[in-house]
Amino acid sequence: MTILNNFRRLTNFVKPLRGTESLFVITARSLANGTYDYDLAVIGGGSGGLACAKEAVNLGAKVAVLDYVTPSPQGTKWGLGGTCVNVGCIPKKLMHQAALLGESIHEAVAYGWEVPSLNDVKINWSALTESVQNHIKSVNWVTRVDLREKKIEYINGLGEFKDPHTIIATLKNGSKKELTAKNILIAVGGRPHYPDIPGAREYCISSDDIFSLSHPPGKTLVVGAGYIGLECAGFLNSLGYSATVLVRSVPLRGFDQQMASMVTNEMEEKGVKFHHKCVPLSVEKLESGQLKARWLNTETKEQSEDVFDTVLLATGRYALTEQLNLAAAGVNSLSESGKIVAEGEQTNVGHVFAVGDVLEARPELTPVAIHAGRLLARRLFAGAQQHMDYDNVATTVFTPLEYGCVGLGEEQAVSRHGADNLEIYHAFYKPTEFFIPQRNIRNCYLKAVALREAPQRILGLHFVGPVAGEVIQGFAAAIKCGITMEQLMNTVGIHPTVAEEFTRLNITKRSGKDPNPASCCS
Amino acid sequence: MSNVICQGLRSPVRRLAVLSKTKAISTSIVHNETILVKNNDEFVNKVMNNEKPVIVNFHAEWCEPCKILTPKLKELIEPLTNLDLAVVDVEDNAELVHAFEVKAVPAVIAIKNGLIVDKFIGLVDTDMINNLIDRMCGKKKAT
Repeated sequence: MTILNNFRRLTNFVKPLRGTESLFVITARSLANGTYDYDLAVIGGGSGGLACAKEAVNLGAKVAVLDYVTPSPQGTKWGLGGTCVNVGCIPKKLMHQAALLGESIHEAVAYGWEVPSLNDVKINWSALTESVQNHIKSVNWVTRVDLREKKIEYINGLGEFKDPHTIIATLKNGSKKELTAKNILIAVGGRPHYPDIPGAREYCISSDDIFSLSHPPGKTLVVGAGYIGLECAGFLNSLGYSATVLVRSVPLRGFDQQMASMVTNEMEEKGVKFHHKCVPLSVEKLESGQLKARWLNTETKEQSEDVFDTVLLATGRYALTEQLNLAAAGVNSLSESGKIVAEGEQTNVGHVFAVGDVLEARPELTPVAIHAGRLLARRLFAGAQQHMDYDNVATTVFTPLEYGCVGLGEEQAVSRHGADNLEIYHAFYKPTEFFIPQRNIRNCYLKAVALREAPQRILGLHFVGPVAGEVIQGFAAAIKCGITMEQLMNTVGIHPTVAEEFTRLNITKRSGKDPNPASCCS
Repeated sequence: MSNVICQGLRSPVRRLAVLSKTKAISTSIVHNETILVKNNDEFVNKVMNNEKPVIVNFHAEWCEPCKILTPKLKELIEPLTNLDLAVVDVEDNAELVHAFEVKAVPAVIAIKNGLIVDKFIGLVDTDMINNLIDRMCGKKKAT
């Protein structure tokens, strides 16, 4: 396609962006006479950045992607693809699967499988990490090949602003490369936060390091009870490494707390130790090479300590905005925590955008970043109008017994609508497959948060149980369609599944009736 | 790369190869040993300009099926005197990967006189490999 054709296509279809009428003129001009090196420069080659870049290129834009991984305090680094691919969703899910398979081997015996020397079944940590890392490397490679094929310029350098349209990339060997772009997308994501305590950076690891740890983690202390901390503690425990969790305030803060307690109850029953209302004080290395961790119970004011092989910090993540030199671009829409405030993914500077974990008050999830990135590319290069809908985004916590949810938690719904205007349906259930191996069913629970007034539109769905992510996904689409309790209760379930329990919901919290199941099949 | 002209019969390369066969001298031309391609020049010299057909195996260390296929290819091809095996590590040879449109590994491309005569992707069984070898050697196998 010639530059002239691109120009003609754009003049026919590009409509001015919100508040950036002048951008239309700049767009046409730069494509026609190449004022800038690129139509779009993306800082950050993760989920959001790559999705936007690829969509932009499909729409005829000239795109460059910068990606660089500053090594973790322990020295870990990784390839192209961002957090999700390298140190997030992908390795996490693989290790979660490894943990579940370990449990399955034991359950198999109850089903009649003759497993020789069951007591000798144990995890080979280096075999596990090798498989996981091999998969990650294959994804890194496919990503690079894909960028090459789509003719997206990939620069392995740390990007920062020189002026509103110029970025300087510092490569690994120290050399610098300058590029100009008409539009710039900030998709730098975040990294684990290290608490300011002695020994944190020297001796502790984070989620950046666990998935490629060169030695088995052994007895592990996990500091933090958000989903990262709980998921790690969960799979480590199931793999046979003793796990202890320090909870500063509450587990899974921001999530429905009743469901969060189901998740932690299950973990406790599986052997994970929880220390509630505790904050870490220090970590020191002993002569043996082990780590002594000290913590304070903020309620009882009591100090405790214990010796661990590994201390994994999961105390939140911070956005990588500081190293961008945003001042040089004139971008000042930052929140207190350093994240970027960008309504419609647009910062206070009209041609500078942001997507993904770097955004303030948006769900920090890969599919959110991908979807927002794609829609942004369409608005920039295809004159599209559709904006990202950040409401009712489904998510799942991959603890050994998973928790999937979409929509409002009970506390959120109460504060928004008032308890009198809500009807909460709930039930415990017993997955058929759990009976034979006598798996614990105490924490298999689900609930629907709905408006009280007929037809009782559903505001949130929550599910703790196996394959929770698979169960909830379809319901996310239903919530988008405005599903009501009447419709849900008139949906016929698939039997025998755990997902069908949603169609069997009929007991409300308000009624006070026993939500425990009587029998299945009736 | 695909524009490289193959060497003719009267090329010094071929004469040297004939000499080495009769006198069993080891020469600069890799002969029966697997060619480990490290860069484009090596590929042009030892694969495109090779008067023998070459089976080019695109390989990656992180790829499980590659760990099965590559040793198998070596086992079957190294004893042959009229067919060479070249292994291209995809991490070290990004341009070759792009030129041959390799999107997945393992990938095997058969090259004769500088032209691609066959290609397959993924792990294949020994029978398929032997078929390919037979076709490349014109059903002649050296003892």
